[in-house]
Amino acid sequence: MPKYLLLLISLFLITGCSKHDSNEAPLSLIKATNPTPSLIHSESRSTDEDMLQSIEKDIEKQKELYDAAIVKNDDTVLIAYKVRHLQRFHMKKIEKDVKGKLEDKYPDVKFIVSSDFKIFLEVVELHEQMKNPNFSAKKAEKKFEKIVKLKKELT
Amino acid sequence: MCAKPKKTPDQEQYDQLEKKYETKRPVLKNCLRAFWVGGLFCIVGQAISYFYIYFFNFTEQTASNPTVATMIFIAMLLTGFGVYDRLGQFAGAGSAVPVTGFGNAVISAAIEHRTEGFVLGVGSNMFKLAGSVLLFGVFSAFVVALIKTILIYMGVI
Repeated sequence: MPKYLLLLISLFLITGCSKHDSNEAPLSLIKATNPTPSLIHSESRSTDEDMLQSIEKDIEKQKELYDAAIVKNDDTVLIAYKVRHLQRFHMKKIEKDVKGKLEDKYPDVKFIVSSDFKIFLEVVELHEQMKNPNFSAKKAEKKFEKIVKLKKELT
Repeated sequence: MCAKPKKTPDQEQYDQLEKKYETKRPVLKNCLRAFWVGGLFCIVGQAISYFYIYFFNFTEQTASNPTVATMIFIAMLLTGFGVYDRLGQFAGAGSAVPVTGFGNAVISAAIEHRTEGFVLGVGSNMFKLAGSVLLFGVFSAFVVALIKTILIYMGVI
């Protein structure tokens, strides 16, 4: 009997804690989501969209990476990606490489690059929330800032 | 250190006799058990780490701190309930080497000495085994941090 009780409690805990209201984000741990890059605030939307697509292609070319979520706000581009399992030993080098290449190509843009799963999760969530018409640009910007702050945290 | 003194014929004879009756340790079996149980702890640790990433504001980098604390706490509870001892007997190093072994070392020492009183028993003996982990852990962290600081200062990294 206590075994079943334990199982039941853990089941309640696991299901009860799911605050994520989006569908894709929680599954991103086990599958590639590859969300289309999104734009929060921009002065010239069409050029920025072209740029985001080109960045996405650049990221796809990197053999070490396999899933990327990109979001742009003003002149800051946040890129979160997943690294192939055996390449995870070179995570820092890959991050430096990706950032260096993108900064060379687009010198006017500030890039924030991360291989952290939490950042990836948050960016995918932001993508999904932005699909909702009730989700304002202000809220999106706030979430963007939160993710950037989270990326800077070390301890 | 001085060289080992040469064994007398009597001692050598005893060694041979001892070898004859000694029960052989199943090294491979022990290794396999340690591997599986140690790996199982790591799976639990990974799951807890993802729990913190999913439901709290922890990144992969920062989630390690609460994960370690939770693992140690679970090991402490299991030691108190007497489960960890059995696990230790079965898995050996598989249960002692991961960070959970630290929790086990603290609580088992506390349980062992509780009859001597809270201050002189539990208080002074709790970190008998784990104390060295803390001491050398802190000291080695200090040395590594010092080396890193010097290297950063010199511009190497």
